[in-house]
Amino acid sequence: MKKALPRFDSKFIVVAVSVLLLLYFIVFPLLVLIYDSLFVEGVFDISNYKEVYGKKVNWQALTNTVQLSLVVMIASIAITVPMAWLVGRTDLPGRKVFRTILVASYMIPPYVGAIAWIQLLNPSVGYLNDFLKFIFGLQKAPFDIYTMGGVAWVLTLFYSPFAFITISRAMEKMDPTLEEASRISGSSPLKTLWDVTLPLMMPSIVAGGLLVFIAAASCFGIPAIVGMPGNIEVMTTRIVTFVYMGDAKGIRDATALSVSMMIVANGLLFFMSWMLSHKDYTTISGKSTRPNTVELGKWKWPAFALVAGYAFVAVVLPLASVVVTSFLVSMSKGLSLDNLGIDAWIPVITSSQYMECIWRSIGYGIIAACIGTVLSLFVAYLSVKTNIAGRSLPDLLVVLGGATPSIVIALALIITFSGNFGLNLYSTMWILIVSYLVKYMTMSVRTIAASLSQVHISLEEAALNSGASWIRTCWDIIIPLVSPSIVAGWFLIFMPSFYELTMSNLLYGSDTKSLGVLLYELQTYADTQNASVLSVIILLIVLIGNVVLNKVTKGKVSI
Amino acid sequence: MADLKLCHIYKKFGNVMAVSDFNIDVADGEFISFLGPSGCGKTTILRMIAGFEKPTEGTVTIGGTEVYNGSKGVFLAPEKRSIGMVFQSYAVWPHMNVADNVGYPLKVRGIPKDERLQRVMRMLELVHMREYADRFPNQLSGGQQQRVALARALVTQTGLLLLDEPLSNLDAKLRESMRFEISAIQKELGITVIYVTHDQSEAMTMSDRIVVMSMGKMQQIGRPYDVYTNPANQMVADFIGLVNFIPATAKGDRIFMQGQESLSFPNPKQLSGEAVLAVRPENISIARTGGMIKGIVNHCFYMGDSVDYRIKVKEQIIRVIWKGAAYGIFRDGETVYLDFDNVMSFAKEG
Repeated sequence: MKKALPRFDSKFIVVAVSVLLLLYFIVFPLLVLIYDSLFVEGVFDISNYKEVYGKKVNWQALTNTVQLSLVVMIASIAITVPMAWLVGRTDLPGRKVFRTILVASYMIPPYVGAIAWIQLLNPSVGYLNDFLKFIFGLQKAPFDIYTMGGVAWVLTLFYSPFAFITISRAMEKMDPTLEEASRISGSSPLKTLWDVTLPLMMPSIVAGGLLVFIAAASCFGIPAIVGMPGNIEVMTTRIVTFVYMGDAKGIRDATALSVSMMIVANGLLFFMSWMLSHKDYTTISGKSTRPNTVELGKWKWPAFALVAGYAFVAVVLPLASVVVTSFLVSMSKGLSLDNLGIDAWIPVITSSQYMECIWRSIGYGIIAACIGTVLSLFVAYLSVKTNIAGRSLPDLLVVLGGATPSIVIALALIITFSGNFGLNLYSTMWILIVSYLVKYMTMSVRTIAASLSQVHISLEEAALNSGASWIRTCWDIIIPLVSPSIVAGWFLIFMPSFYELTMSNLLYGSDTKSLGVLLYELQTYADTQNASVLSVIILLIVLIGNVVLNKVTKGKVSI
Repeated sequence: MADLKLCHIYKKFGNVMAVSDFNIDVADGEFISFLGPSGCGKTTILRMIAGFEKPTEGTVTIGGTEVYNGSKGVFLAPEKRSIGMVFQSYAVWPHMNVADNVGYPLKVRGIPKDERLQRVMRMLELVHMREYADRFPNQLSGGQQQRVALARALVTQTGLLLLDEPLSNLDAKLRESMRFEISAIQKELGITVIYVTHDQSEAMTMSDRIVVMSMGKMQQIGRPYDVYTNPANQMVADFIGLVNFIPATAKGDRIFMQGQESLSFPNPKQLSGEAVLAVRPENISIARTGGMIKGIVNHCFYMGDSVDYRIKVKEQIIRVIWKGAAYGIFRDGETVYLDFDNVMSFAKEG
């Protein structure tokens, strides 16, 4: 008889440590935040909620947020459902390319999109406005980006990929014989769409819509850059304003707003996962036979034009605008060949202040990604590969962090780690890194867990049986098998961390200004060209990251 | 009336010829199985009958109506063909309960609710699912979902029923009982059935005629007995039942077994040159003395209802199945003599 394998003990320690870490850095700050919003010096007191929402500007911010998020959600669903169907289920020409383009804005920082659309649609010198004025001989610019409609437009373009990813995945996973069964029962294609396809898609459509709603409501960059110049305030911008006040009263008001946001966002996400676990029809179907694509026939090219037009407006146009602006010699002169050059690039690349921010953000991203990947590996291993009690608790805590709006996380960290409870991280790089980990680890855990669940337990048992220790088994068998997902998980933390704006904007100190914050400042001080140059640099790094990611995971994971 | 006629059907996917020159005439009330290995084109033909694929060439006629004609540009959409179909993955709609699933084809046709319910219940009775009418598919087992799919395909009483490997996702016991149930329902309703399968025992037990397919071509069509006892070629003999192939040479009226030149069999097909003799394991008898071919017992496997012997004859292993025999009559290494019965012969292929 061999000696009992030391699995229980070492695993128990790993669980205990990761649960404690996650409790301390995710749950504890959120609890402190809730407590602070409900108690004043130990006495239960919700007068600040009444007071905050009693002020017209805050109430207006709340209604603006709800209105914007609803409009963005409905518009995203209306755009995404037909797109997902065309790309996923028909013989649309170039559907693979469109799929990539339509999810591309997912990996572009939202504030870069905001900057681009201001360049395109601001009422005085917007490129697109000028172009439309010229074409139609208009006196006045047809569009003004600094309006509720403008904010909704940019939010829709940048958050509809959330819905697109969810809905198109469900479309492609659906067993096409369910539709064929309807056809053979006597239903026309249109009736089949109505009676079978849409009802089956409904849970995914609702889930995608809710994701967009939450993302739009939690977004800071777009409303701050596009909305603030037009005096449009939303919840996130109000919270930032209150925090900037810096006094106890400001923090308290911010806390009240944050807690209400957190409850709504986490409540909706909880509802969404409950709904998906109870109504996710797509997983019920039996073996899927063949991918059945609908022939568009004479509608092929009109559909192509529609999708291509959307892809052009949503992705190509804003990217082109930022790139072109960065290469303009003089902003006051128009677009012409002799006005193109790298003049705007030189001061940026030679500026030690700018370059420091870039390297700093890359550094923070790398540190966050390395710590996060190791933690993700533990959390994923525990929830997928073991059967000890509480194995999925760490996973749940990570999901909780990811589901909480960035602005709420930032505020909770400020309140908790400013020395009131022992640890003081305020103004250090560590508070930024902790915030990135809290927000972005969930994606990396998902990716690694999905890959680990593919590694059958017998592979591990065979190694243990061959005499390898548990640690040795992890190193020799498990890690090599899931290594692509580990690389993917690393990038899934690195990328959003290095261009993060919302949390960094509240958490940075004099020596820890990040790239996102720098870009935001440049844009607010109306230095559009330097902002464009930095945007292009960010886009390049994102692009390189995605190419690497694509190579490593053979196209299975991208951002 | 639901007779079915396929004339000169060709189907190309890109450069691959999935079906070539397929012809069949199915009489009303007939049960026909398409049998063949995966990728032989049997499901493609079924989908062309249903209207989910368009043939590259040819005509499809159902109940006297031309539903597809390549040269005349006739194409009737699946929903207008009045066909019942059961899919391999059941394709029971998860968002409707059993009664709604079965009643859907009637609802589409605008049948009033009372009559609909009555007919749905009658169908559920037929497939023994009456008490499950209010259940949802995720509360049903695979076999029960298959019954729902069957009831749904039968409810409009269209007269033509297509079944695409309907039993392949079920376990062995259930597969066998469903086989007899489908057969009984078909006899009771008098419908025409096209049944696609790769399982020869399903095809043998249920069908009036079997179509054996390989590489997009019909290899043979005939009653199960004819296909089994008189296969058209080596592929059919190999695919249906077990068979020993023995290299041989045909000369005049006789075919000589290779390595046993003293031994010859009749040559009814008038083959010449290289040929193949085929004999099924159950048509070989073993004895200690007196048989025509000498061999050595290589190994034997006890199967319960039979013993499966592997006999080494020259360089070849011949398989012999002895029904009802006791285990251990012949020991490994023992010299035995074999007698062949019902020997088939084919021209050598490839």
